[in-house]
Order: sequence, then structure tokens, then C-alpha cells
Amino acid sequence: MTGKLKTLALASLASTIMATASFTANAQETIKVGILHSLSGTMAISETTLKDAMLMLIDEQNKKGGLLGKQLEAVVVDPASDWPLFAEKARELIEGDDVASVFGCWTSVSRKSVLPVFEELNSLLFYPVQYEGEESQRNVFYTGAAPNQQAIPAVDYLMENEGVERWVLAGTDYVYPRTTNKILEAYLKAKGVAEEDIMINYTPFGHSDWQTIVADISAFGSAGKKTAVVSTINGDANVPFYKELGNQGIKAEDIPVVAFSVGEEELAGLDTAPLVGHLAAWNYFQSADTDENAEFIEKWQAFIGDENRVTNDPMEAHYIGFNMWIKAVEKAGTTDPDAVIDAIVGVSVPNLTGGFSAMMPNHHITKPVLIGEIQEDGQFETVWETSGLVVGDAWSDYLPDSKDLIADWRAPMSCGNFNTATGQCGGKGVN
Amino acid sequence: MILTHFLKKGLTWPITLTILIILAIAVAVPFSNLYLDPAHPLHVPNHLVGLFGKYLTYALLALALDLVWGYCGILSLGHGAFFALGGYAMGMYLMRQIGSRGVYGDPVLPDFMVFLNWQELPWFWYGFDQFWFAALMIILVPGGLAFIFGWFAFRSRVTGVYLSIITQAMTYALLLAFFRNDMGFGGNNGLTDFKDILGYDIQASTTRAGLFSASAIALALGVLITAAITGSQFGKLMIAVRDAESRTRFLGYRPEMVKLFAFVVSAIMAGIAGALYVPQVGIINPGEFAPANSIEVVVWTAVGGRGTIIGPIIGALVVNGGKSWFTGAFPEYWLFALGGLFVLVTLLLPKGIVGTVRDGWAKLRPAKQAPIESDTTQKPADQANSQPQAAE
Amino acid sequence: MYRKSILALLTIWCLSLFAPVANAQDADLQAIIQKFATSKNFNQTKAIVTELAETGDASVAGVLNALSDGSVYFRKSDNQVFVVPGSGKTLELFDPLTGEAAGEAGKRDLKKVKVNNALRRSIRDAIGGLTLASENPSVRLTAANTLAANPDVEALPAIEAALERETDDTVAKRLRQAQASAILISDRSLEDKTNAVNVMTALGNREALAFLTRFEAQADGELKTLAARAITKIEKNLKLWGMGQNVWYGVSLGSVLLLAAIGLAITFGVMGVINMAHGEMVMLGAYTTYLVQEIIRNSMPELMDWSLLIALPLAFMVSALVGLVLERGVIRFLYGRPLETLLATWGVSLILQQAVRTLFGPSNQEVSNPSWMSGAFELGQITITWNRLYILIFALCVFAVLLWAFNKTSLGLQMRAVTQNRRMASAMGIRTPWVDALTFMLGSGIAGIAGVALSQIDNVSPNLGQSYIIDSFMVVVFGGVGNLWGTLVGALSLGVFNKFLEPYAGAVLGKILVLVFIILFIQKKPRGLFALKGRAIET
Repeated sequence: MTGKLKTLALASLASTIMATASFTANAQETIKVGILHSLSGTMAISETTLKDAMLMLIDEQNKKGGLLGKQLEAVVVDPASDWPLFAEKARELIEGDDVASVFGCWTSVSRKSVLPVFEELNSLLFYPVQYEGEESQRNVFYTGAAPNQQAIPAVDYLMENEGVERWVLAGTDYVYPRTTNKILEAYLKAKGVAEEDIMINYTPFGHSDWQTIVADISAFGSAGKKTAVVSTINGDANVPFYKELGNQGIKAEDIPVVAFSVGEEELAGLDTAPLVGHLAAWNYFQSADTDENAEFIEKWQAFIGDENRVTNDPMEAHYIGFNMWIKAVEKAGTTDPDAVIDAIVGVSVPNLTGGFSAMMPNHHITKPVLIGEIQEDGQFETVWETSGLVVGDAWSDYLPDSKDLIADWRAPMSCGNFNTATGQCGGKGVN
Repeated sequence: MILTHFLKKGLTWPITLTILIILAIAVAVPFSNLYLDPAHPLHVPNHLVGLFGKYLTYALLALALDLVWGYCGILSLGHGAFFALGGYAMGMYLMRQIGSRGVYGDPVLPDFMVFLNWQELPWFWYGFDQFWFAALMIILVPGGLAFIFGWFAFRSRVTGVYLSIITQAMTYALLLAFFRNDMGFGGNNGLTDFKDILGYDIQASTTRAGLFSASAIALALGVLITAAITGSQFGKLMIAVRDAESRTRFLGYRPEMVKLFAFVVSAIMAGIAGALYVPQVGIINPGEFAPANSIEVVVWTAVGGRGTIIGPIIGALVVNGGKSWFTGAFPEYWLFALGGLFVLVTLLLPKGIVGTVRDGWAKLRPAKQAPIESDTTQKPADQANSQPQAAE
Repeated sequence: MYRKSILALLTIWCLSLFAPVANAQDADLQAIIQKFATSKNFNQTKAIVTELAETGDASVAGVLNALSDGSVYFRKSDNQVFVVPGSGKTLELFDPLTGEAAGEAGKRDLKKVKVNNALRRSIRDAIGGLTLASENPSVRLTAANTLAANPDVEALPAIEAALERETDDTVAKRLRQAQASAILISDRSLEDKTNAVNVMTALGNREALAFLTRFEAQADGELKTLAARAITKIEKNLKLWGMGQNVWYGVSLGSVLLLAAIGLAITFGVMGVINMAHGEMVMLGAYTTYLVQEIIRNSMPELMDWSLLIALPLAFMVSALVGLVLERGVIRFLYGRPLETLLATWGVSLILQQAVRTLFGPSNQEVSNPSWMSGAFELGQITITWNRLYILIFALCVFAVLLWAFNKTSLGLQMRAVTQNRRMASAMGIRTPWVDALTFMLGSGIAGIAGVALSQIDNVSPNLGQSYIIDSFMVVVFGGVGNLWGTLVGALSLGVFNKFLEPYAGAVLGKILVLVFIILFIQKKPRGLFALKGRAIET
């Protein structure tokens, strides 16, 4: 064991040295790509993997001959899960290192923090995580799921296939769960679910004592109607939550929990045997049975040097986003942001679930929606998927203030919040 | 008392020099950024102006902490709270300035309120569309909180580690409260997407240069005020409270009033630092309340040298400069470097950078008597305390 | 958990092997089972399950259970259906009906018959009636639970027959509930129904309440008033039990706080070191547990249930050693300067976090519950999970041992002497540096074993320590620095207070109120709950 550890440590050291060396080796005539993911602090747990995935993708692209005849060069910085530091580091990448595009951010607040920087300096950000929507910005490409690509299909599935009539919307108290729950509440009510059959609960970040809440859920679910939990609980809090569920004996057959933030990576830290049957909704599962996926997993595990390392949805989002950027740059013949922004709309690249994802004019992409059940081996088994691709919707149709808004970054509209009711760019205006 | 003494005695030469240097920077950096050719070797690029501006506000925060801790023996582990409150007051003003340019185009409500379906502005957001009101709040809110908190704590004679821990409890409670979306301060996302300040575009380099100068001038004023207070009779009383609180009380002074005054002044300085910080980084969110942030301020002050005026400024600049550089240059290993720095400074430079240099200087010139501040680390009447980190 | 279900599976197989099944029927059953291979979707699979269940033949329980566990596969080449319990590249095949070995096949040649929750549920319902006669009480319990949750008039005779021979109390209780609810919706006599309502009232759980509420809505006459009275009674009862539940949750949360804080009560409370690296000592203990489990999983899986006991001394040693290095390398230069210890240990905590992150990666590591710590039991209407109960017991044991070590051993005497008056102790011939090192080691080691316990309920990640350190300091200060009893009382009372607030104020506000309470409390008692008297503590 210690031997294995030592090799692990050595390998990671060696790979870092090599990576550092390769950054500096060909300093002239490279195209720089910024990677803005936290490598320390609370979000390191999720974001470090994405940094590695980006390094692998860049590496692969260089093996294929680079881009526009030049090699790509990754510039890695550590914003340390500190939101103002994200803005500072983004500025440093764009102004100091002159990167052609940036792949990064995870939390909504980190994205919000860097938005003005990308706008001001006119650069490109590819954002790979499912998020709350209600945003479309000229310089940002949202390759993760919008609420209509994750939450709504999941609820539909539970209603139709599981016959769920009573809902617990449990989330961490921040903007993504708040918005998602708001949308879901409106949606459920539109479907005829009564007020008293919806229970909404928010917990702080990193909440670790779930006894009361799990007991409440259990009590709420014993009223004789089929009950399900829609969980937007974030990162760290999930492990104790699922442990408590397992221990209090809440089985998926009785009260299924569908999660939007729990993927293969999060399950790797859990004993999944008591959780079999709980669900997650994503646009990609590692278990997807396609050749592209098998190849991707193989390359990833070889790159990271661990044959048990899992892949997850945000990694696929980076895979799609990176390939879209490559294709758009090739199409435009330059890395100039304005040219790439014009070229990228309509670009379509293969995703890992056997189809093609396309960049839409609202800077969101098309994706399939998959519902998976947790298996004993920590993987998901797809139990349902949309028949076609779903177009990411920047502005939810279920929120009163955004239902009239659309985004279209093609000329002549070039607007992220066009109001179809008033025919003007700039939100809902005075009402 | 403070003022008369100050006028009579004037400033010592190191303080005068420090203030002059800061003022020179306040002029030189914006000048170089705006008027020198980008190819010129002395040109300061845009992103560095923002970065240095941020460091200056941190330096002011560290100085504020030093006033209570270094001179008055109150180890506050919650100074980040005053900084963040000042920042929120400024952020609320900036939010109101956005007007109908938000993504939803609502003329009054900030975006996040529209987003949460709020119909009208909560009462505590009234008035923040006026700069004078916001400026008043930047002083009143942190100062008021410090007054109430200090009034009770000092009168109850809560001292030492107990005081440190309850200041930490205060910032932690505020952290949790501001995380709540129901509070009406934007929850975890905080306040962001600012457009302009006092009518100037917040992204323009002239505005940035202006904010930089403002931060430098604020720091210079902070130095002036700290020097005036600590150099006065009252300053001696503060040190007496720090070193022997009971004895001071027996002599007929009221230590709780001394502490309360220092605490409130310090909180106001921290609030102003926060207010200048927000427009320069473009976001304020509850993360600023994190207990770890407040502990970091203590660390800056200690690294620079507490109980001195220049020390906290140098500490804030060195530690933050190092952090910025390390996170870019060694993203995987910077925590080792930073952690190592703290351990080494503690072991090798127990009086901080400035204290050590000054002691060395004093040894070279044995004739001159060491200034009164120099014995802070010998007999710390303060004590102890505590720890870190909230989720997120 | 997994092993348990396999066990259940085998039991049923064995049963089915001995069952006197007519061979002619076997062929029919086989034919139905083989249809799984050609099932296109969950609905078709469900139809096949229903068809199998309707044969009423107990020998199909084996294959249905296997299906529910996701271990029914078919061979792609000939659509032959098998039960495949294992995993790996080559898999052993078993006949779905007889349970006999049927050769091996590569994983790629087989395809799984997919199941989802709805299907698992219908399987459970389908075999509910079939397994009431099982020899394994846990199988019977599942069956009884199913029947209690879905009252079925037609199952009444079977339930009553099962009730007569039932020996297990828990199962019998569930069966009585199933019987009572079935009677209420049947057309039996008023007297029977009155009895049934009384049985339900006596059971008094939420399920009974929900059922009675629905029953009351459509009942009339005497039964309606009876049901209404029963409902009020159950509700009142549940409210009382709810209080008890809250106390339990609070005590359980308190025990976690106690564990997290007790090491700090020594390094900080007794020695005065503001030990910011305390959380990282806890984290090291948790990672030691992970390593121990990893080794056991790879080389001797049969020891898994012992993993925590093995990890305890190791975690103590690992954290104590790191503590020793920390004390000898850094802290001993800083005695008498408590503030500096804050800075140095803060630096050390950053280094330890990043070191663990570099070695093990930033993600969560899997630490599993041994089987004796999994699951829960019912005490009246309170659900008590085993892991929380063990953690409470463990925390109290640690506390007791520590208290004993402090008050009854000569080392404890020396520790107290040194911390109270270092020079006097030294003059009495105590080797103070040695005692310092030992005390700090003890505090760190205790933090390490706390990590073993906390790994059972929380994330094992580099951030583990950070999430406990604030709470730990609050507990120690609230209880009174330098007093172990204060830490105990402080931890438990903060836990209970928090849990009583949570239902009314919500988790976030509850926590804020606790913090405000601590601030106010310290105004009232500026030296904590149990203030040490005497001069030693005066600064």
C-alpha cells in the first residue's frame, strides 16, 4: 500500500513537472488556453478533475498537430475557491498571459465574478457546469445543462414512470437550487400538484447533520402518496445526506431521490450499496455505451494513470466545448474572439453519448437528457432518455419575469435578453 | 486630547515618510498607467492597478486590526465582518446605480430580486441610490455594530480568548445570515455586475486609476489617524490597557471605554477599506465574512509586525503579493509555500518583519532608547484564540 | 449490505430447492423466465414479473429477487437467461430456477435485464405473499412491511395464518398492522373493525396515522368517531415522541461536537496552544481509516467488520506522531506566546491540507460503514441509527478514559501541574518539556481517533478538518477553557439546543441563533460554563 502511495505521489509530482516543463518549452508561437479551476479550497474537490481533463484534451489536440499550425499551451492558475480571486486570475490570464480562450469556473458565483472581466476585455469563457439559467452573455458559452435540460425532464420521468404525487425539493441555500426549485414549483403547480404536496427545504453549505431533515422527509413521505425527493444539494453535503438516508433505511423503491449535482465523481466517495435505485439526471453518464465514450474513458484513465478514475458530466461538457472552440477557430482561421463568437454558432461536434451537440445562438448547446439509477459499483444505469436532443433554454418559460425573454447573439439581434413582448433588447423593462 | 497632543507634537519622521511614500504612490501609479506608453519599462498595466489597489485596501484593513490588537490587546477574529459590511454598503450603492441596465431591465429592483420574484425593494435598500447615504452607512453600519458588540462585551469584561472566539462567532453568524437568499443581499452570489460609480464607468481605466488613488489616500489617512491616536496620551492609555488592564482600572481609568473607542474607530477603518475594495474587485459576497478571512488579516499583521504602524501595511502587501504570485506560478504547491512562510516567520521573526528590522537597527544604535511600542511581544496580555473556515 | 442480500437470495434458493415442485410446472416457469431475454422495456419486464408471480409458485422468488438485485442476465448468442451474482470479467452462471451452476461466460457475451425502481417495487409486492413463509426473519419482515404499506383484503387469510406461527416480535408487529389495515377495508364485522382501530392506535406510528386519516374520511357512524379519537391520540403521542426524537438528535449531534472538540480541549484548553491544525489531526485520523479499509478491501475482505477497531490505534498513533513533530519542531519554541501558536499552526494546517490533497487527490475517499454500524432500529416511534448510537457511546468512552487519565494517573497529575505552574512543577523535578510533548501528543491522538468516528458520517476529504474547527473552538470556549467537564456539557447542550431550534427556525437560522446565543452567554459568564477558579487562569 505504501508502495502504491509512493508511486502515486511520484507520478503526480512527475506529471506536474512535465506539465510545467511543457508549458515553458515552446514559448514562441503557441496559442495559449487558460484553465481557471480551483485547485485548493472547498471547490478543489470537483474542479481539479476538470483541470486535468482540460490538460488531457489540449495534449490530445497537440498530438493531432495543434491548432492553425501552432501548438496549444495550457496556462493553469489556482483561484483557490475564492470568488474575487477568480476575477483577478481571469484578468491576469487575459491581460497578462494573453490567452485565446478560458475554460473554467464551477459555481455560479465564480462565473458571476468573472463575467464583467470577460465582457470588458472581450475574451471567451467556456463554462462546463449545469447551472440555473437566466443568463446569456456574448463572451460566455454555457456547455453545461440549463434547467430545462436536467430538472424538468427528471420531474417528468418521476411523474410518469414512478407515479410520484408528493414532492420534497431539498437544496443548498444558494442561487442554483433556489432558481431550480422556483422553476420546478411553478412547473409542478402547472401540472396540478397541490401546495401541501410540495415541501421545500434549504440547508447551509457543507451541512453535515441530516438527521432531522431525513426524518422530516420520511414523515412527509408516509402520508400514503408516492413521494420523491428532488435534490439540488451541493457537493460536500451530499455524502452525509446519502449516508443518513441509507442508515435510516429510506430505500429508492419507497422514496426515490433524484439529484442534479451528484455524479460519478461524487459517488466515488461513497458506499453505494444502500443507495441503489436513487436517481440522477445528467446529459452524460460514464456508462454510456458508445465508441467515443469508450475511447474517451480509456484516454482519460491512461492520462491520469489510474484505471479506476471515473468520468463525469462536466468533463463531457469540456470535451464538447473544447472541440467546438477548435472547430470554430479553424472555421474562422483566427483565434480573435469576435471572429470565433461569429463562427461558433451552429458548430456541431460529436458528444459522448452517440449524437452531435450544436452551439445555439443563445450560446447554450443541444444535449440529450439521461436519467440514471445508481448501481452498486458507483455507476449509473440509464433508465430513460429523451428521444432527441434538447435545446438549452437561457430564459425559463416558467418564471414570470423571464418567459418573454430570448437570447440570440447572431447579427442583427446580438442580444442576450431580447424581449419578444416589447420587441426590444434589454430585459422586461418597465411594466 | 488626541488632537491637541497631535498638533503640539507633530509626527515622527518614519510616519511622515510612510505617508509621503503612500501619497507618492497614489499619484505615480495612476500616472504611469494612464500616460506612459505601454512599452515603457515603468508602465503599470491595467490589471496590476486593480491588483495593487486591492492590496492597499487590505493594508488599511490590517492597519485597522493592528490598532485594536497591536495597541490595545483586543485580538479580534471578526474584523473581516466590518470590512464586508462596508463592502456591502458600497455594493448596494453600486447595485442601485445599475438601474435598468440589469439583464431584466427592471428600473429599481436589482437582478437577483427579480430573479427571486420579489415585487418591491426591501426597506433596508432605500436610500442607497444616493452616494452620500451609502457613504454614511459605510461608516455607521460597521461602527454601529462594533459599538453595540463592544459595549456589551467590554462592559461584561469578556477578555482574551473568549473575546476572540465571540468575535469569530459574530462573523460566522453574519456569514451564515448573508448566505441566506431570504436576507435580500443576493445570497451566495452576493452583489456583482456593477456598471458605474458616481457616474463614471467602473470599467474605464481612468476610474480604476481614481479608485487606486482613493485607496492610497485612504490608507495614508488611516496611517495619520492611527499615528495620531497611538502617539497621544490616549494611545499610552491603550497600551496600558493592553499590558495591565486590571492595574489601569485600579488607577481610576475605565478600560472598557478605551477599548470601545479603539474598537469602533478600527471597525470604521475596516468598513472604509471594504467599501474601496468592492468597486475594484467587482464583487462582494458572503465569502468575505468567512472566519478564515479574518484569521488571514491577523496573519498579515503578525507577519508585518504588530504594534507598529508600518508593519501591518508591509505584512498585507507581502503576504497578498506572495499569494497572487504563488497561485499563478505554482498552482499546485502554493499552499506549502504560504503555510511554510507563516511557520518560518513565527519561529524566526517573532516580532514580524518590521519589529525584527527595528530591533536590529536599535542594536546597531544602542544609544537611542527603543520606542514604547517595541515590547509588545514580550508580555502579551492578549491571548488566544482560534480558528477558521466556513463552508464554501 | 450486499452480502446480506446475497444471503437472502441463497436462503430462498435453498428453500426452493427443497420445495416439492412438480416437474411439469418447471418447464412452464422456465418458458416464462426465458421471456426476460426478449423484453424490450420496463413495462414488458413488469408483465413477465406479474405472470411469474401469478403462478403462485414459491420457486420463482429466487429469480425475482435476483432480478431486483440486478443480477439477471441473458446470453446474447442464444437468449438464454441466467442468474449471475458476481462481478468481474468472467462470470459464473446459475440456472434461474434450480440455482444449479450453469457454466461461465465473459462479461461481453452477457446482457443485463434492466430494472428500475418501479420494477423493483412490483417485484417486492409480487413476492411479498410468496415469502411470508420464509425461514429468514428479515425476508419475512420485508414481506410484512409490503403488506402493511399496501393493505390487501385478499391477503388477509395468508396474513392471519402467518401471524399464528410468527415468532419474531418485529415481524409480528408489522403483520398485525397489515392485518388491521386489511380488516378496516374489508367487509368484516363492526367489532372486528373496532378492534382493528384499537390495534392501529396501539401501534401509533405515522403509517397508521396516515391510514386512519384516509379511513376516517370515508367511514361513518360509530367507526368515524372512533377513528377520529384514535387519530387525535396518535397525533398527541407522536408529538411527544417527536420531542424525544429531537433530544436524541441533539445528543447525537452533541456527541459529534464532543468528539471533534475533546482533543482541542487538551491542546487548547489545557495547554493554551491555539491549535488551528486541530481539524487536520482529525482529518489524518479519517484518512488512516480510509487506508486501513483500502488495505483490508484488497487483501483480507473478511476483516472489514473489524476495520474501525484496527484503525483506532493506528489513527491515534498517526495523529499523535504528527502532533509530536509539530510540538517538538514548532510549538515548543512558542510557549508563553499563545498568539504565535495561532499563526504557526495555521500555517501547519495549510501545509497538511495540501499534503493530503497531493497524496490522495482532492476528492472524497470512500469509507464504508461496517455492517454492525449500518441501519437503524426503532425505539417506540424513534428511529435510532446504529452509527449514531455507537458514536455517542464511543464519545462518552473517550471522555471517560481521558478524565481518568487526567485525574487518576501520575502523568495526568504532571500534566496538570505543568500547565498550572510550569516553574513550580519544574522545581519539583518534573521534566516539563517531556510532559509538554506527551500532552500535545495525547490531544492530537484523541483528535485522530475522533477522525475514525467522523469518517463514518461525513466526507473524507482534505477539507474535513476545516468544517469542524470553528465548532470545536466554540464548544471549548462555551464550556470553559481548561475544563473537560465543560467541554462535555457544552457539546451536548449546544447539540440539543441546535436540534430544538432546527424544526422551527430551519437549519441555517438555527445555527445562527446558536452562535448569537454563545455570544450572549459569554457576556453573562465571561469565562464559559465551567470557569476555572484561581489565579492560574488570569492573564
